[in-house]
Amino acid sequence: MTAPPAPHTELVELETPIGREWEPVVRLVLGGVADRLGLGFEELDDLQLAVERLLAEAGAQPSVKLVLELEGDRVRAHVGPLREVMIAAALQGPSEPGELGLRRVLETVVDSFGVDDSADGELFVRLEKRVPPR
Amino acid sequence: MTTASAHGPHDSPDRELLRRYHVHGDISAREALVERHLPLVRSLARRYAGRGESLEDIEQVGAIGLIKAIDRYELAREVALTTYATPNVVGEIKRHFRDRGWTIRIPRALQELNVKMSGAVERLTVRKGRSPTIAELADELDATPEQVLEAVEAGSAYSPVSLSASPGTEDDLDLMEVIGEVDKEFARTDERASLEPALGELPERERRILRMRFEEGLTQTQIADRVGLSQMHVSRLIRRSLEDMRDTLSR
Repeated sequence: MTAPPAPHTELVELETPIGREWEPVVRLVLGGVADRLGLGFEELDDLQLAVERLLAEAGAQPSVKLVLELEGDRVRAHVGPLREVMIAAALQGPSEPGELGLRRVLETVVDSFGVDDSADGELFVRLEKRVPPR
Repeated sequence: MTTASAHGPHDSPDRELLRRYHVHGDISAREALVERHLPLVRSLARRYAGRGESLEDIEQVGAIGLIKAIDRYELAREVALTTYATPNVVGEIKRHFRDRGWTIRIPRALQELNVKMSGAVERLTVRKGRSPTIAELADELDATPEQVLEAVEAGSAYSPVSLSASPGTEDDLDLMEVIGEVDKEFARTDERASLEPALGELPERERRILRMRFEEGLTQTQIADRVGLSQMHVSRLIRRSLEDMRDTLSR
C-alpha cells in the first residue's frame, strides 16, 4: 500500500474478485462507508461510478483490493493493484478532443485522483471524495 | 339478420391506416398507428414495472416492439393489429430485460422501497437544498440505512458493467507522467472540449445528458431538473450510456 494513514483515519478493506456478480458487493461497501461519513446520496453515486469505471478498465485480472480511508469529511478509495499500462493508458490525457475516457469521468465525479506505487511495485489508483460544505 | 362487427380485422381504422402505410408508404399513417396503440404498450409495460427499470424506459422499449409489429404486419393476415402486436411488444420488453442481465429476483419489500426512493430523494433535495445522506433517506422512508442501500442496489442490479474488454498494450507509455499526479483540483473548464465525437451511437436524450454531465459539469440533480427525470433515473442513464459506449469501442 501507500504511505501509512494519517492519524484519526479509519480503514475499511475489501479484496474482491472482479466481475459483474461482485459489483453489488463493492457498491454496498461504498454505500456503508458513505453512510458512516455522511456523504450525500449523489456523492455516493459519483464515488460508486468512479470505482465501477475503474474496475471496468481493470480488464482480465482476477481480483482487486479496495482500501477505504475515512478521514474527517473525506473518503479516499485506493483501488489496486492494477496493471501498470492500463493505468497509464486510461489516465493519461485524452488522445482525441472530445473523448469520454476514464480520466474525464474521474475528473467529473471525484474531487481528486492519482496513481500511487506501493513499496513492492504495485500500483493503486487513489480516488478522493469529500462531503460538500453544508 | 346478421350484424357485422364495425371494426373487424378487415374494416377497422387500423386496417385503413395499415393499408395507407404498406401500400402507399404513408408515414403519417404509421405514426397514427403508433399513437393509437401506445395505450396498449403502456398497459403491457406496467406488468414489468418495479424491476429496477423506469416505467418510461420500459414503455419506450415496448414502443419499439409496436413499431416492428406495424412494419412486419402483412395485410393478408386476418388478425387484428392489437393481437399481432401484443407478443411483439412483450417480446421486445423481455428481450430488453434479458439483454440487461436482469436475472435477480428482488423481494417485493425492496422493490417497493426502491419505487419510493426516487420521490424521497427529490423531496429531500428540495427541502435541504442538497443531496440527502443515506441516514436522512432512511428517516424519510422509515427504513434502516442498510435497507436503503439494498433498495438502491435493487434498482441498479439490472444495469451491469461490462468487464470483458481488456485494455490496450501501449508499452511505451511513460508511467512517470501519471504516478502521483493529479492530486489537486482540476482545471475543469479548460478540459471540457466537445464530447460530440464520443457520443455517436447514443440516443439523443442520453447524448444530451452526457454532455451536461461531462461537458458542462452539471450535477445529476441539475440535469434531472432540466430533462424532467428523477436524479436516480439520470444516474442509471449515465451508467448505461458509459457501458454502451465502452461496449461499442471494444467490439
